Amino acid sequence: MDFELPRLSRREFLSKSSIGAGLVLGTPSILKAKAPGATGDDIRVGFIGCGKQHEVLFNAMVNIPGIRYVAACDIMKARVGRTFSAIKSRFDYNINRYLSAEEMLEKEDLDAVFVSTPDFWHAPHTVMALEAGCHVYCEKMMSNTIEGARSMVAAMDRTGKLCQIGHQRRSNPRYQFVLNELIQKENVCGQIINLNGQWNRALSSSQDIVSKPSILPEAEILREYGFNAGADHTLNLEELRHRFLNWRFYTDLSGGPISDLGAHQIDIFNWFLGTQPKSVMASGGRSYFKDREHFDNVMCIFEYETPLGSARAFYQVLTTTSSGGGYYETFMGTDGTIEMSEREAYTNIYKESGADSTKWDELVRRGLLKKESAGVAAGGTDAIASYESAPPDKYALPGGLSKQPHTPHVENFYGAIRGDTKLTCDARHALESEAPIYWVNPAANSHEIINFTEEHLHT
Amino acid sequence: MSSNDKCSNDLGLTLGMLTLRIWLGLRAIQTGIEKFAGSGKPIDSAVLMDGAPNTYGLTESTSAKVYAISNYNGVPTPLYDKFINEPLIPEFALNIYNVVLGPALIILGLTLLLGIATRFSLFLMGLVYTSLTFGLILIKQDAGIAWLGVHIVMIVIALALAKHNRFAILKKW
Repeated sequence: MDFELPRLSRREFLSKSSIGAGLVLGTPSILKAKAPGATGDDIRVGFIGCGKQHEVLFNAMVNIPGIRYVAACDIMKARVGRTFSAIKSRFDYNINRYLSAEEMLEKEDLDAVFVSTPDFWHAPHTVMALEAGCHVYCEKMMSNTIEGARSMVAAMDRTGKLCQIGHQRRSNPRYQFVLNELIQKENVCGQIINLNGQWNRALSSSQDIVSKPSILPEAEILREYGFNAGADHTLNLEELRHRFLNWRFYTDLSGGPISDLGAHQIDIFNWFLGTQPKSVMASGGRSYFKDREHFDNVMCIFEYETPLGSARAFYQVLTTTSSGGGYYETFMGTDGTIEMSEREAYTNIYKESGADSTKWDELVRRGLLKKESAGVAAGGTDAIASYESAPPDKYALPGGLSKQPHTPHVENFYGAIRGDTKLTCDARHALESEAPIYWVNPAANSHEIINFTEEHLHT
Repeated sequence: MSSNDKCSNDLGLTLGMLTLRIWLGLRAIQTGIEKFAGSGKPIDSAVLMDGAPNTYGLTESTSAKVYAISNYNGVPTPLYDKFINEPLIPEFALNIYNVVLGPALIILGLTLLLGIATRFSLFLMGLVYTSLTFGLILIKQDAGIAWLGVHIVMIVIALALAKHNRFAILKKW
């Protein structure tokens, strides 16, 4: 006679054996039994998607203790192999490799899953993982469609699992300090009336991604995973592989540069102002990369209504120039300007000449700011005094982040799983902030201002 | 000239020579030692706000300067990268020079400071500075050439004052 032993997962075994022990030894054992994922218990982690962004996340978390990497999946075998090798060489143990996320979620006993797949797979993979009982960390942009993003919020609510979205600046101590202390508590900017942000990339950083054909998935797999979505003809293998590697260029697979790059910074506009914009106007074009479906350069203006009055935010994402100092978000107020960036090198703070010097000196004395230099007039014979404003004094943040930029956000996710903290960017808050971004491309296409309603922005 | 005048004049020249030996010696020794300097492991400490460590996790990074054999760089990397592209500087010669320069400066500085074969030490030091000048001419670093020229003038003055050399371990050569 064949017997089949009941299959118990590690979690179920621990849970049931603890209860059993408790019945024998008495109540205290039950009280001491740890809930899955509780402090002192390794969090069992799986990866869906093992491409570039996965590598960024993995490198950001390798020094975080209490993690057990269990499995990884990607439709590209070479990528899963790379993740396997990276974990093997660093931690000296093997993980299980899969080509299918469904199979991985079905077979593995995971506490948390990191989703770093192309944007159009974020929602299906996140919903799938949440429903499999996993907490999920999903890269931004939440989805290539607002409906997809809403389905993620619904799944988070339905399952009661955690869903962190990869707006990593929300957990960055530098950003938290600037918002909580400098803007909200000390009001160093005064009334913030104008915001300006950009992510400018040189042509050399905006080229097509290429790879050795022998390691890329076959046409059948790519069709199965929807890389032919929106195509007006049957795609050949070369076209499918181009879409697989360069999904960011295709409208049915991603939101384009405004979503890939702009999402991080427009999120900061909304987070710092504590509100959603009232409208958006935009302009974009395929000015250089004429065969790409998305605009290669986009400029947009959001209008806000804040408790202190109206404000406007200009944002540009340019993929044809590195001009203007990389990527940052600037908050321009009546008393001061904070130019924030994930990069410390691009971060600057300026005091308007008319602002209260005593107050700023006191902030320096208390250690909340560092004074860099007094304002210096540009001078020159072409300066016309009546046109000029007095130059602002320059300040700096008192400290920086001694970790990789993504590390605090991953730590926050793990901390929330252990019950030590709350997520800094759960799916609902992320969508509140991301929702306006979904309307930039339509506004640029229609050349019309979109005045937001509940229908546009609801989560 | 009276003998008193001659004596006081000799004393001045002797002290002048000694001053040059000390200056050129220390200059060479410390320049050589600095080629072994590097940054230690950075130490992150919490930024203090209102006298207490901040609660945000903002940190300040400090790292101490340390000296180690492993830090040695005879020719600074930016200069090395330029010299390697110069057709008049063969790579093997540059690599030898890179290894020898630091120890040579330290040894010549010590022999000059202690007064061991002072004239030859000065002459060899002059050759070292001339070789550095040659490299700087190739990459058009005029300020550096002028700066080394000042060193050469000081060496020539020291050689001219060699007969007034005192407080030396080995006066021969």
